[in-house]
Amino acid sequence: MDPLILVALVIALALFFDFTNGFHDTANAMATPIATGAIRPKVAVALAAVLNLIGAFLSTEVAKTISGGLINEGDDGVQIGPALILAGLIGAIVWNLVTWLLGLPSSSSHALFGGLIGAAVVGAGFGVINGGVLVSKILLPAVLAPVTAGLVSYLATKIAYAVTRKRERDGFKRGQVFTASLVSLAHGTNDAQKTMGVITLALIAAGFQTGGAGPELWVIAACAIAIAAGTYSGGWRIIRTMGKGITEVEPAQGFSAEAATTATILASTHLGFALSTTQVASGSVIGTGLGRKGASVRWRTAGRIALGWLITIPAAGMVGAAAAVLVGIGTGGIIAAVVLAVAAIVGIFLWSRRTKVDHRNLHKPEPGVFVRPKKKKKRKGRR
Amino acid sequence: MIDWMAFLTVVVASLISACLVVTLFSVALRLGDAGTGWRRPVSALMFALCGIAVLVGLYLIVGDHLRELVGL
Repeated sequence: MDPLILVALVIALALFFDFTNGFHDTANAMATPIATGAIRPKVAVALAAVLNLIGAFLSTEVAKTISGGLINEGDDGVQIGPALILAGLIGAIVWNLVTWLLGLPSSSSHALFGGLIGAAVVGAGFGVINGGVLVSKILLPAVLAPVTAGLVSYLATKIAYAVTRKRERDGFKRGQVFTASLVSLAHGTNDAQKTMGVITLALIAAGFQTGGAGPELWVIAACAIAIAAGTYSGGWRIIRTMGKGITEVEPAQGFSAEAATTATILASTHLGFALSTTQVASGSVIGTGLGRKGASVRWRTAGRIALGWLITIPAAGMVGAAAAVLVGIGTGGIIAAVVLAVAAIVGIFLWSRRTKVDHRNLHKPEPGVFVRPKKKKKRKGRR
Repeated sequence: MIDWMAFLTVVVASLISACLVVTLFSVALRLGDAGTGWRRPVSALMFALCGIAVLVGLYLIVGDHLRELVGL
């Protein structure tokens, strides 16, 4: 296949992945402010979109490798070419859309890593995967992130409820706007970088850009617009799960959870121990559910989310591997892989229309969630 | 393998900063509710400290870029 067409396909899919990354992760910052009524849903996603757009332009850290050392590199660069990157992107996109359909807040980065691992193993063998990096940078942090954020959020919630009285707690809504904005900005600086890295690598691999150079301005602009557009479209299903599905969030809890998420993300980014934004935000919501007296955590939903985290890498990897088998055939295989990917994307979108979730019906309970009526207290001495 | 010391640092830093901000904001709300005598200015001071915390957060996110812009 003509390298120009192949690179154009990689760029198109990378930008679509960036879009899915945006709407998948809107919930990380905006689920709790929306749930508590601190910000109206459409305003929240618009604010998150603008901050993601700004954040994408702000970051100076250039993604030198698309996988942060996960895929071993030879002397002449990464061992996977544009065709395998295309296959990896297909795996990441399809899995991101599946988890969105299920309303599961899974990590978009893990989906990308999983897709690339699957494609790389098929294209270049198991030796291309750095097992140490896989364990230390992905698997262990996936366990530690929600535990850390949950602990921080639990203690912060305890403090908020110990210090304030009930009538004062609506004031926390104002604070939520600031903490949620910080999470959105941090997300923009981090996540758009991955797609910039993918596109830059494809351009270098195809000879359209010199090696060692950072992303071109048009790449930065395209990625910023894609992630902002995705964020604005609002992953309402995931926002519903995080805002209402795990626990009922009050303003004091929302502020505590957002403060914990912001503190954990900023600390992890700046102290050399990167944690997934999605897993930190989910852990914070669980922690705040445990921290408020009388609140309950829906462990079934939390379990579904944990299961989603567990299978994200293998599932995206399997789709990426299947796509890699196809692209290995040649031009016909590449076309077949792209056509099948588009069919899967359209199919998932059409399936999602059967139970539409958006800002208008966000606060309706999820189907199958049993709403238990409050028991009336028995009065003493009444017969 | 995993850098446990870096992880412990993240846990401690997150705990201190999040709990500090939540404490400041909560005390500000509590004192602001009564709103008489010395309570109101102290409440305003607490809100201002929270504002500073947000600015520190902002600096941590965009600080590198700013340094690059001014050529430091």
